[in-house]
Amino acid sequence: MRILALEEVTFWYPATATPALESVSLEVGSGEVVALVGRGGAGASTLLLIAAGLAPRVTGGRLAGSVTRGARAGIVLPTPWTQLSGMAFTVWDEVAFGPANLGWPEHEITRHVDRALERLEITPLASRDPVTLSGGELQRVIVAGILAMDPDLVLLDEPTAELDPEGARAVWRLVRSLAGEGKAVILATSDVDALPGVADRIIWLDQGSVRALGEPSLLAEDAMCEAGLGTTVAGLWRAAGLGAPYPLTVVDAAQRWR
Amino acid sequence: MSVRLLALIPVAVAISLALSAAVDAVALPLFLDTTGTILATALAGPVVGIAVGVLTSAVNTLRNPTFWPFVVVQVIVALYAGLAARAGLFRSLKTAVPTGLGLGVIASLTSTPISYFVFGCTTTGGIALTTALGRALGLPPLGACFFGSFVSDFGDKAVTFALVAAVLHALPRRTAARFPLALRAIGAT
Amino acid sequence: MSALHPFSLLAIAAALPAFAWILPAPTGGLATAGLALMLPLVPDPRWGVRVVRLALLTAAPFWLFLRLLHDGPTTVAIGGRITTMVASFVWLVAVLSPDRLVEAMVARGWSLAVAYVFAATLSAVPVLKARARRIVEAQRCRGLSPRGSVANRLRALRALALPLVLSALHEVDERTLALETRGLGAGVPRTPLAAPPDRPAERVARWALLLLCLAALIWRLA
Repeated sequence: MRILALEEVTFWYPATATPALESVSLEVGSGEVVALVGRGGAGASTLLLIAAGLAPRVTGGRLAGSVTRGARAGIVLPTPWTQLSGMAFTVWDEVAFGPANLGWPEHEITRHVDRALERLEITPLASRDPVTLSGGELQRVIVAGILAMDPDLVLLDEPTAELDPEGARAVWRLVRSLAGEGKAVILATSDVDALPGVADRIIWLDQGSVRALGEPSLLAEDAMCEAGLGTTVAGLWRAAGLGAPYPLTVVDAAQRWR
Repeated sequence: MSVRLLALIPVAVAISLALSAAVDAVALPLFLDTTGTILATALAGPVVGIAVGVLTSAVNTLRNPTFWPFVVVQVIVALYAGLAARAGLFRSLKTAVPTGLGLGVIASLTSTPISYFVFGCTTTGGIALTTALGRALGLPPLGACFFGSFVSDFGDKAVTFALVAAVLHALPRRTAARFPLALRAIGAT
Repeated sequence: MSALHPFSLLAIAAALPAFAWILPAPTGGLATAGLALMLPLVPDPRWGVRVVRLALLTAAPFWLFLRLLHDGPTTVAIGGRITTMVASFVWLVAVLSPDRLVEAMVARGWSLAVAYVFAATLSAVPVLKARARRIVEAQRCRGLSPRGSVANRLRALRALALPLVLSALHEVDERTLALETRGLGAGVPRTPLAAPPDRPAERVARWALLLLCLAALIWRLA
């Protein structure tokens, strides 16, 4: 089922002459994981805001082209502490903030919140005060808060920025499990090495336009490596002067080596 | 009220209360406790400003219960700032500072009766002492009380207005454009 | 005491100062002051003593300055009223927990906007205060000092205040996006999560208190 479709979307922030996104077209169906890669300011965050229905409605600005969304979206922004509701004194209440605002009955809220806490592996933190949490714990609480609202389109902007490698792996596992449930996931990340096992499609954004799109093998292509956006293994292989095609992952490299 | 304005209010209140740390560091006899109220009004109008003013008084009251009766002053500040913003009086320091001085007069005129009838002019140590000074100089009780409030309010409101004008001019256009009144307050529309 | 509904606690803390001003001085003010100071001692004297001590310490300077400016009877009259106000509020802050009040507001169907703004303010204040202290310390390392001409100090104040305020305003943008995505502007009535129980007896008592205040006011004016 098609969850989101962007057709030739160009977007300008208020009082800005240069568009943040230019003629971007994208279709995402249920069960798909799409990853946006690009340098800072390339437009990935803007694209996520448009997909979430927050741009231009909340950010202001002008949008040309069309956006079709078939389901409810939830977005997790990069800085965890600005996403705290300010109305909750325990982690449980913080995660329940979204569902309570939707007016769901109490037993529904409890079911979704408990499930979200489990999936993010933060059930032991349920009665802690959110202001006492570390950056990584807080990021997981915010993700849980969005998942508890049961969106069909999950948008993640740098979801592993505050997490250690173990925590990051847990998030990538979660992303695959969300896709397995039929949700659509669009994520923007600089953690390119994790993408081969996680994303179904990669989109390379450069200064607001789509420069390339394709399967994760894109991350081992010459152009991407030159831009500093390829996987570490591919980049090393290229820097060592070994020939194309570059291996995508450590496993690929090991096989090529033999 | 839009979500943006709802998100602005707590931040504006926190600004008013957090600036006391800055004021202590430079050892100036200022309060700056109406900064958030004036800023919020210049960005979004007097209704938002009144909400910020009332909440600032409420939070101050948690620390010191005697602040509560002065909530009226915060409301007057918001109304005055609303008129100033609509007239674009934040467009430069040359217009902002005199406007602030004007507010200083009005604020002390408003707080004097409260100080007199509720507290017998002992609102703070400073005000009590300047009132005593005023009495020693031969001023009648109410006049001495006004003298006490005026001395502290006059400079405080001028500095606050100057600070808010500086903030409004330093805001990137893209951010200012998202608030209903900001551009008009600095005379940009 | 803290088992009482938050609105009942608010009603008591508002009624005592009201009576202090309505009833004739100086006995009215002193009587309510006495009541307000006894209130914290009721359920738990040990905890109550600390609250009473804080109330007396906060009220003491006023008595001092009142004596400086006024004669004996006026001092007692105004002092009693101020003490009532101080003691009631200090007790209220000690006994009322903000989350119970917020949930009470939501359960009563008050606008979510009001509940949000109140709760978010309480959360935002300590965060911004801490940030202000950090900015001050950073500037101190760069030579900021409380000496120098007034003009210099005003310039220093600007250098401290501007980054604090601008970063706070920038955060308003991010907060707005986060709140919107979590349904704050949804227009649907929010489900209360843990509404404090409101006994009918308490509700009756609150209305009775309000009527008593009005009656006293009318009696005094007549």
